[in-house]
Amino acid sequence: MSDSLEFHDSEPLTLGVELELQLLTTRNYDLTRGATDLLRAARHDGANGEVKLEITESMIEINTRVRPSADGIAADLDAMRGLLVEQCARNNIAVCGGGAHPFHSWPDRRISPGERYEMTYERYGYLAKQFTVFGQHIHVGCASADDAVWLTQALGPYMPYFIALSAASPYIDGVDTLFHSARLNAVTAFPLSGQCPELADWDGFLEHFGFLRDCGIVTGIKDLYWDIRPKPEYGTVEIRVCDTPLDVVQAAALAALAQALSRYLLRERPGFDAGKALQVARYNKFQACRYGFDARVSCPQKRAQEDLRSTLRDLLDTLNADAKALGCQHWLDVLRTALFTGTTGSDWLRARQAVHKNLNDVVRDSAERFSAMRPQARDQGSEIHATAKPPET
Amino acid sequence: MNESLLSPVRGAWTAMQGTLYFLPPFPSRIDTLALLSLLLVIGLLVAEWLRARWGWPRVLGYVAAGTVFGPPLLGWISDDILAQLRPIADAAHGLLLLEAGRRLDLRWLLRNRDLLRGSVGDIALSFLAIYGFACFVAGLSPAWAAATAAVTMASAPAVVLLIIEESRAQGQVTERVMMYSALGMAASLVVFVIVLGFVHAQQDVTWMVVLAHPLWAGLGACLLGWLASRLALLIAGYLPKRSLSQVFVLVAMALLAIGVSRMLGVPVFLTLFLMGVLLSFSDEAKVLSYTGLPEGHGMLAIILFVVVGASLPWRDVTWLMAAQAIGLLLVRAATKLLAMALSGGALSGGKRLLVGIGIQPLSATAVFMAFEIGRLYPEIGNSALQLAFLAAAIMDIAGPVLCRLALNRAGETAVEKEVPGGAL
Repeated sequence: MSDSLEFHDSEPLTLGVELELQLLTTRNYDLTRGATDLLRAARHDGANGEVKLEITESMIEINTRVRPSADGIAADLDAMRGLLVEQCARNNIAVCGGGAHPFHSWPDRRISPGERYEMTYERYGYLAKQFTVFGQHIHVGCASADDAVWLTQALGPYMPYFIALSAASPYIDGVDTLFHSARLNAVTAFPLSGQCPELADWDGFLEHFGFLRDCGIVTGIKDLYWDIRPKPEYGTVEIRVCDTPLDVVQAAALAALAQALSRYLLRERPGFDAGKALQVARYNKFQACRYGFDARVSCPQKRAQEDLRSTLRDLLDTLNADAKALGCQHWLDVLRTALFTGTTGSDWLRARQAVHKNLNDVVRDSAERFSAMRPQARDQGSEIHATAKPPET
Repeated sequence: MNESLLSPVRGAWTAMQGTLYFLPPFPSRIDTLALLSLLLVIGLLVAEWLRARWGWPRVLGYVAAGTVFGPPLLGWISDDILAQLRPIADAAHGLLLLEAGRRLDLRWLLRNRDLLRGSVGDIALSFLAIYGFACFVAGLSPAWAAATAAVTMASAPAVVLLIIEESRAQGQVTERVMMYSALGMAASLVVFVIVLGFVHAQQDVTWMVVLAHPLWAGLGACLLGWLASRLALLIAGYLPKRSLSQVFVLVAMALLAIGVSRMLGVPVFLTLFLMGVLLSFSDEAKVLSYTGLPEGHGMLAIILFVVVGASLPWRDVTWLMAAQAIGLLLVRAATKLLAMALSGGALSGGKRLLVGIGIQPLSATAVFMAFEIGRLYPEIGNSALQLAFLAAAIMDIAGPVLCRLALNRAGETAVEKEVPGGAL
């Protein structure tokens, strides 16, 4: 079983988003087995995307259609959110975002039916069940395969920003990990996780992939658990480091950031040293996972450390022109607000825990936030905007 | 049973008392704690053996142990001992029904009308079909036919709960089996209270009794269940959620409700089930929602089902009665399957039928309800309810197997498929 490596060109800078979501029992807000039943029961026309299985039965994935703007992504995510929440309610299941469930017991997870999932379990053993973590994947369309390989590497140094902005997994096994995103530690256990190596172009990628395949390490592109990878079948670059945010507003805002940043990079083609960037990538990723906006990341060009908070603020300012051209400034404002208030999803979860002193209630609040918080129409047209302030619970 | 074995020991003991004056009189019966420990070990061993040998649910082993060692066969558990164990069995049964009530999520019914349709269908069809069978085929009078229907129409939430916990089942079939069992039980209890009046009316007692007894049982259970649930929520509100202290409060309030119900002659199972339902429905702040029963309730369940097994009326069974009981169970099974098939909804037809199979158990609550009604007029009640007792006895064996089978077939139990080195 191998994926096709033929790169299907796509409309540049179009967007697609996948969100992995948690399925919860309303009895105590622990994870529950429900994905296959939901999938069978889900009645929808696919106009706004699809619902898919994930590795375990306590996860479900919603995908948007390919959209030219973040507004379109927000509309799709909102429609799919509404569909899923309604279907879940009919099955007495709750659904929420967040990168990891705060207190579930991984041995209780059930592997989803399907050859791919069974093979994953056979191959990785318990890691497959521990992979019950929830991420947002953002696809950005590329005009050519070479662009995709270049963008995959050019986006690499910016991953700490995506990690900090999406971080929503502070608790694992009922314990505060002190991380903002503990989810990525579960991904790191896989042998093919990490960063894309230094590659000159698509031919270089094919040569690298062929080498891995000949060595018996990979059979398809899905075996590469890189933070960012080219996705030839869609003609996109796929950003995979984000935790699933606690609501679809933040998810759409992250998609807008990916789009504006990609436009900026493809337009400016700033020079960068991929080799040096790789040398600091794991450290910077750890910093963002551990400290969120308070991280200090290494800059290989300056051979120094910088505050993630201030460099992210600079980046959002830099992207103003591109965001304006793409019509997604209002989405970057959502991220600015989060940065200004210094509140990641993890901070919100910790604040709820400080109130409740009980993680069941924290997950309940999280489910209510996911159900209630939606992007709102800004005018009669399809343009969407949102506030970053979650509802009081 | 053991008189011949014990008499030399008794003689020796009595002889020794002359010299060893501190010795107490030879015990006239086994101490309750010692008996409990023996029943626990016997029930556990039989259950584990059946499970290891044939993969049968443990609850079946407990019932089998009670049947083998009870009055119908070996007689080691005598009627006296059964009476001695009744408070423990009441407590075990009450705690299981409390948990079943806590799992009845009435808000789900409002969100999914298919469930409401299925449940109303199950309740109405089961009652009417069983009533018709008991009245027209078994030849019972209308009041006793209604009593038989009240006792046997519902599933057994206690059994269903134990099977779900044992197999760690999760999924829509599991959730619906639990929901329909709890709802059926609620309806069965309502019918049971009404039937009390009909049974009295048939015996030419005063109208005062005809009206007062159902009210005493029904309103008394409502009031006690409400008081116990409010008290539990009030006290637990001062304690950390999911703490051991909250578990103790929950168990203590349940035992209080059991004790007061026994003192006032209110059906224990009714009080505890209502207490659970009220806890589930009124706990908006989720004070006790996340607090589960301690693992020890499994130990109490062993005692309960050993007692149930020993109480089953195998001694007086005739071929005709056995045939009638099987007929009643077939009618009951058909109506439950039909109700599920007709309920519609997003769940596939195959899975709806599995729900119908999953709600077949009939056990402790039926036996205890039958006892409650039977003891009103023992001279006729016990024989009039023999059909219900026997149906419960048969389903005590078949019910757990059917329930487990349904959850397995739905792919919702913990071990679905083995892969090299593990289970998916």
